[in-house]
Amino acid sequence: MYRGLRYIKSWLETGVVLVALLIGPSIIIKAQDVGTGIATANVLAALTVTSTHDLAFGDVVQGVQKIADKTVVAEAGVFQVTGAGGSEISMYLQLPPYLWNNTPNNEDRLICAFTTTDADIDTTAVGTPAAHGAGALVDLDPHGLPDTAIGVADNILQIFLGGTVYPSVDQRAGSYTADIILTVAYTGA
Amino acid sequence: MDSGKSLDKHIQKSARFGAFLFIIFFLATISELTAGVLVAPTSVILSDKKRTGRLTVQNPTDRPKQVQISFSFGVPVSDSAGNIRLNLQDSAVTDERSALDWIKAFPKKMILEPNTSQVVRFLARPPKDLADGEYWARIMVRSQEGETSIPLPTEDDKITTKLNMIMQTAIVLKYRSGNLISKLEVRGTEVFSTDTMVTAFIDMVNRGNVSYVGILDCRLVDAKGREISSNDIDLAVYRELKRKVRLPIFSGNYAKPFKLEVSISTEGRKDIAAEDLIAGNRIEYSTTVP
Repeated sequence: MYRGLRYIKSWLETGVVLVALLIGPSIIIKAQDVGTGIATANVLAALTVTSTHDLAFGDVVQGVQKIADKTVVAEAGVFQVTGAGGSEISMYLQLPPYLWNNTPNNEDRLICAFTTTDADIDTTAVGTPAAHGAGALVDLDPHGLPDTAIGVADNILQIFLGGTVYPSVDQRAGSYTADIILTVAYTGA
Repeated sequence: MDSGKSLDKHIQKSARFGAFLFIIFFLATISELTAGVLVAPTSVILSDKKRTGRLTVQNPTDRPKQVQISFSFGVPVSDSAGNIRLNLQDSAVTDERSALDWIKAFPKKMILEPNTSQVVRFLARPPKDLADGEYWARIMVRSQEGETSIPLPTEDDKITTKLNMIMQTAIVLKYRSGNLISKLEVRGTEVFSTDTMVTAFIDMVNRGNVSYVGILDCRLVDAKGREISSNDIDLAVYRELKRKVRLPIFSGNYAKPFKLEVSISTEGRKDIAAEDLIAGNRIEYSTTVP
């Protein structure tokens, strides 16, 4: 019995070493890519901001307001922030008052608005616009997002954003565009 | 019998370690699939002796990214409810501690091809008669897709929209000159409690000439000294700051009255290199929870 267990132990240890040999170099290379000449402590706290899905209104019809729902995966705008789990960050969203069609001889503005409940914050990696993770903050004002700690379990924070466009009855047909800017900073540095 | 138990524990430990490695590998793979521009380190420290600094911007994605570097000024401030905000200004900054006018970045704009990185260098040219202390700016690293396409309407009379999601990271830049003093004072502590939560508001003021960077550690203990809950917060006090700390009261046979133990120190920060931290005073006190 004891001998059998010893074999299992040695196989497990061999497996662990092989996995470490296979995976280790890729992780080390990744760290070196980021932090050439920089202290390891700083590499650990690197901050990444990503947009994983644009706020999407789809086709819009003249005279009919269109909502991009923050709880619909295909419509919600999604930002992801990854960094040091537990560290608090300050977030500021610059939201456009309108979208712009700059086609020559066809310029026009398409009004858009964001209500005081158009944002949710999720600090888990499994959360989606439709199904948030545990402890998500919902119905937040995107113009004044609260300072929030990056999730400890997954080192991540996600922002789900909704909005509405208000095309006029004589809105010019065409493609309209605008920028949404998310600024992120650690509050404890 | 004992050796068998010990062996079981060892096997469990090995299995747990294997699982841990698997999770790291999994997360690393996921981050490669979805990551945006990565910026490191999270603070750049310059001084009279070291007037240049660097920061690495990496694009680990499979699409080119357009990156722009600029400067703003802003320090963490709090409202009466203890919420922290960073109000960034990029023009008309009159703050005497602003380094905005004499910091330069090279390069300021770049296109980062997939899986490449770029070092951005900073150069400080401070005025000659700079008073002792620390001067601040925020390095704004702005990134967006290098190639964006606006969707065309499927029919002539249709309207389509495209909202460009732009990401901006505000990195701390500090310039240190002369004799540096890191000193904090607690002006007051207010504590409120419900059946399930203790909320403390700690009002602090910076009495030194550098930002006080450290850790605020709060412990909620019962009358017998048993810990009910605790909360560690990375702290940066540039001028004044009122921090809200929430400590849950977990169910248990805890004896009242409860006590809040507060410890503030510049020690223990793992995200900042030791040589970049300025040692300051330590504050320790406790207060009874009403």
